[in-house]
Amino acid sequence: MNAATETDRALVDRVAKGDRAAVRLLFMRHHARIYRFVARQTGSEMMADDIANEVFLELWKQAPSFEGRSEVSTWLLGIARFKGLSMLRKKKEDWIDDDDAAQVPDGADTPEVVTMKEDKAAALRRFVDALPEEHRTVIDLAYYHGQSVTEIGEVLDIPVATVKTRMFYARKKLGEALKAAGYDRGWP
Amino acid sequence: MSAAEKMSRRDEMETLLPFYLNGSLEGAELEAVEEWLATDPAAMNALGEAEAEFSGTAAANEAIRPPADAFSRFSKALDAEAGPVRTPGQSWLARVFGRVTAMPAGVAWAAAAALLALVIVQSFEQPGGKGNEFEVAGTQDDLAKLPFALVKFKPDAKMADIAAFLDQNGLKIAGGPTADGVFHLTIPASTAADYDKLVGLIAAQPFAEAVVQGRKPADGG
Repeated sequence: MNAATETDRALVDRVAKGDRAAVRLLFMRHHARIYRFVARQTGSEMMADDIANEVFLELWKQAPSFEGRSEVSTWLLGIARFKGLSMLRKKKEDWIDDDDAAQVPDGADTPEVVTMKEDKAAALRRFVDALPEEHRTVIDLAYYHGQSVTEIGEVLDIPVATVKTRMFYARKKLGEALKAAGYDRGWP
Repeated sequence: MSAAEKMSRRDEMETLLPFYLNGSLEGAELEAVEEWLATDPAAMNALGEAEAEFSGTAAANEAIRPPADAFSRFSKALDAEAGPVRTPGQSWLARVFGRVTAMPAGVAWAAAAALLALVIVQSFEQPGGKGNEFEVAGTQDDLAKLPFALVKFKPDAKMADIAAFLDQNGLKIAGGPTADGVFHLTIPASTAADYDKLVGLIAAQPFAEAVVQGRKPADGG
């Protein structure tokens, strides 16, 4: 089996035996998506850079304990999410310490105002970006990361029913935003 | 009733569409969506909207570009990582000896003596060592009949190396160390020639300081 066809799980098995080349292969396969996931979670590419690296170093350390109950990509996303949340908590504390909370993004322009002259695709992209983090994350995980309802539940550590509820409201908000921008799609 | 349970059929289908599109839907939910798509005139339009969301989300994500040097920086960081001890396939004895090696030399040899006591006790409690990854030498009567040699290891010898060597060659520590640091090793040889070969092999190891022949097999010519 060559490197291109070797499954993620087989590579993790190699990592568990101390094979650094296997970690590098997994890095090449998954780094961009992990980086993007964290960048969207934290709103900071600098944080994403640090955290994505840490995720793969964690893979190196934790591979022997990987039980294979989930896909490797789901496992990595779960690690990334946890590290992202930790970093955000720390950042929030720093902000409070610095009395610099005014720098926290406040949503500024409404999506409707900004997208008046944009076409539907561009508007949709902006609306996805403007969703609340918990809604945008399920949209990202389903549409971009190809995760199932169950896998999203594992990554976010929430019940399956909550995943569906968040997806429902995320799509509902997208529909409402589109309608407000003149693109009525008939639902909700 | 939860919010999810209160959903109308349309709401439920709209919720499942992203998972239909990413190919992760299965079972009853997959059948329900397919049936809806086949029977409801509004469904195909809804699918088109979900596809637009799919494209928009992909574009929003793809617009984020990881740094070009991410891989090289990660590689350097990885090389600096020792990682956990990874010793798959080692026997129980080798793993325990491996842990002992991390101790300072004096402590390690004392620990080895305690470990040997444990091995010998187990040999008496579980003749034949069934259920363990190592084989013990047998009962005291058995030990008295087995070919053996007396071996002293160098003070700086790595116990992991010794354990691996013993495993590979079927050698068992049956006793020791004495106050002089001498171990009693059983030699799995049925002929004198095999015995000489194994004892010669032990003596040739870099960790062996001295080897003294003990009982040879009965044909010991």
